[in-house]
Amino acid sequence: MFQTERNIITQTPYTDSFDFDEIKDFITNASKNLFISHRFKNSDKILVQPRGGFPTYDKVFELYGEFVGAGVDILPLTIDSNTRLNDYAMAKKMLALSEETDENMLNGYPLVNHGYRVTRKMVTHYDTPISLRHGTPDARLLVEVALASGIFEIEGGPITYLLPYSKNFPLDKAFLYWKYVEKVCAEYSKLNEPINRESFGPLSATLQPPAIVIVIQLLEMLLSLEEGVKSFSVSFSQTGSMSQDIVSSNVIKKLARKYADRFGHNDAIVNLVYHQWMGAFPRDKEFSDSLINTSTVIASLVRADKMITKTRDEAFGIPTKEVNATAVRNTQYTLNMLRGLPVITDEEEEENLTQMVDDIMEAVFNDPADTLWRQVFNSIKKGIIDIPFSPHIINNGEAITIRDEEYNIRFYKRGNIPISDRCLAFERSKVKLGGKSLVENIIHDIGIML
Amino acid sequence: MRVVTGVVGNDIHVVANRLIEISLKERGFEVFNLGVNTYLEEFIDAVIETDADVLLISSLNGEAEGWSRDLLFLKSKFDLDGVLFAIGGNLSVGEANAEDMSQKYRAYGYDLVFHQIDLNEGLDIIEQTLKEQN
Repeated sequence: MFQTERNIITQTPYTDSFDFDEIKDFITNASKNLFISHRFKNSDKILVQPRGGFPTYDKVFELYGEFVGAGVDILPLTIDSNTRLNDYAMAKKMLALSEETDENMLNGYPLVNHGYRVTRKMVTHYDTPISLRHGTPDARLLVEVALASGIFEIEGGPITYLLPYSKNFPLDKAFLYWKYVEKVCAEYSKLNEPINRESFGPLSATLQPPAIVIVIQLLEMLLSLEEGVKSFSVSFSQTGSMSQDIVSSNVIKKLARKYADRFGHNDAIVNLVYHQWMGAFPRDKEFSDSLINTSTVIASLVRADKMITKTRDEAFGIPTKEVNATAVRNTQYTLNMLRGLPVITDEEEEENLTQMVDDIMEAVFNDPADTLWRQVFNSIKKGIIDIPFSPHIINNGEAITIRDEEYNIRFYKRGNIPISDRCLAFERSKVKLGGKSLVENIIHDIGIML
Repeated sequence: MRVVTGVVGNDIHVVANRLIEISLKERGFEVFNLGVNTYLEEFIDAVIETDADVLLISSLNGEAEGWSRDLLFLKSKFDLDGVLFAIGGNLSVGEANAEDMSQKYRAYGYDLVFHQIDLNEGLDIIEQTLKEQN
């Protein structure tokens, strides 16, 4: 049954004809170096991964050369936005134009149009793990092509690739499309080292409350593991408060294990990914360097397994390959002096955050629906899960967050999020509006790094 | 008082939209936020459906101009005389002064035009105008 579905999905004039037997052989015999799950197991340093992708094969090949020269651990493959919207015809046209004119007519690599036979040459040439970065609600074909190419880490998920990116793509469809992705990843995971799935914790990158970020990370993890995925990365981005990052990390690590085990996934490996600051960057490039450096220090303090880098050109658009590689080199340099840091804990804050996450998780599990994805779907519809600054119509948008004096992100209004009165009181006790209106405070709190 | 608000056109700038909603609620308005990426027809439908007193459209980077040209036509089809039409944000593609923008958008059919002015200042003017009307 499932194979019939896969045959239908992969039969399109926009990509190579699929030879599933050959792909199975390739994955079975693929170099261990291509699997990030293998790197996670055998490395005791934080793996460094930038972002990046260009339309043509040659430019991505050169970009990878630059990254490898800078000591990258994990290569990215960022996909263009036409492909993200499944508009392969437009991607094909723009790729042809990019190849003719040498201009970049796409903001990423149109992987489906290039196809797996060509892309695999580049992947095996560098023999380095590659992570697929996209933002696609329906990633079924894209992920088939990626895995067949030797790209063995797939980022995204039905919630994290939808609520921050789309106004009205149907959420229930996204759940079913991602179920397909999880199943394919699970099936290929039996052949060699496991395929790693990674969730996208930054969400809309604007005053995201850690409790909601963690809940969504845990739920996407469970949805993935229940389809048979064995290696999963939860993630979050720099909040703007170093201590809140540490608290978030301690709680997400503990709870990811707890919930994975509770649902019987004791054999699944869970990793932590830390995103350097995802909000608005300063236009002063020296400030950007300083910010990136600080992010690297925090990634060490939170004991991340992987860190995703930014560049000093963030405020100005897509960075050149040289600037991008410099960020990787500098991050590795800084990381090198951050060995053996002490483990920091904050019991009161961790207890409060754990309580909020557990309360929301229980509310999701108490939904009467018969499957987890439907419970999550209903919970989002009811506002039990509610992210600030989502463009999506299904998101409740009642919860309001604000920074306290130490720049921790706190709940100001909970909307329908079922956090207890006690936790809300704790959160609100930290907040001082300082004689300014709520909105003035929020505007200030969004722009703290400018 | 009821307000319909949202971002017009193919524009997904959600942060300002959300801040407008929070500010309006803080001022005691009943808010119907259509969110980002909203067409002019949808705004008019919502105004009729909710019997709104104010339509407040926001826009960034000049998106609004192309989308506002049908406003007078749409207004002429329905009885919307009691509704205050306001638009704010960054209303031009390049640089432009507020006075030129105001004239242009008034000609499109808006009563109040806020080009690159502070959010609270704009909302003060809306409240003041509503008071004077009653």
